[in-house]
Amino acid sequence: MGGDDARWYRSYYSSGVDRRTTRLLDLLDSESDGETVGTSIRLPVNLREAAALAADLGLARSTSELTVGGLRDVLASFAQRAILEEHYRVHPDARPDLAEVALAAAELDANPLVDRPDLIERAAREITMVHPGASADDVLLYAAGLASAVA
Amino acid sequence: MTPVRTVVLDNEAVQALLDVGHPKNRRALAVIEAVASRNERRAGTVRLVVPTSVRVEAGWVRRAPRAAAINRLRFDDLVLDAETADTAARIRAALPLSVADAHLAATLGGTPGPHAVVTSDAGDTAAIARHLGLPLRTLVI
Repeated sequence: MGGDDARWYRSYYSSGVDRRTTRLLDLLDSESDGETVGTSIRLPVNLREAAALAADLGLARSTSELTVGGLRDVLASFAQRAILEEHYRVHPDARPDLAEVALAAAELDANPLVDRPDLIERAAREITMVHPGASADDVLLYAAGLASAVA
Repeated sequence: MTPVRTVVLDNEAVQALLDVGHPKNRRALAVIEAVASRNERRAGTVRLVVPTSVRVEAGWVRRAPRAAAINRLRFDDLVLDAETADTAARIRAALPLSVADAHLAATLGGTPGPHAVVTSDAGDTAAIARHLGLPLRTLVI
């Protein structure tokens, strides 16, 4: 690990994740041993037929696979947010600001706005005044508008 | 401009992420936040990946008892199975990479693109991209 051992172990043992979140994570992390359980899920008819068609087209193996995959992805997204928020609760200074997240998102997507961090920072500042819950992608959209306006 | 599908972390990126005292900790978390934000809008859009060899090199024990929250961040563990080991060995014969970086390079072919690599060594990533003929996006930590 980077940094000295004392700092690492202090951080390692000084916080804990909520017990239910831990259980959720354990369940998501555990490899399936093939054991399944029957369950009754009411699917909208159009979705059920669309899923069957997707299987016919070779896009998925079955409706069950699509359902399980979608459920796993949504639960993983909840878990990731819970972990991040728990981390920020213990280390509030570690939370990146919206402009930092938007810049990272631009780099991930090879968005040309990576060369205009000034516009990204301005967009993050301005958009949060009218839309406090703005996401990184909202910031990039706003910044693209700013770039277009000044071009 | 195509949205990224797979984000891979190397050893230094993992260390920056896990150590709150690391100078690039917020930078690493910004990448994780960008991915989390996108997956919250549309679940499963972007995969976060750490090859298991990278995890070993970084000393990351995700499921240690009483582990700090950050240790439980969800990544796909890409294992070094026989086929991946062959690919990694071939890459390592061609490029001067560590075992973990060769494993990282070998995982790229089996994951959906476009790919982004979070690393402290843009040179290694550029060499991997040239060798594999993949348009890798590099986020320098």
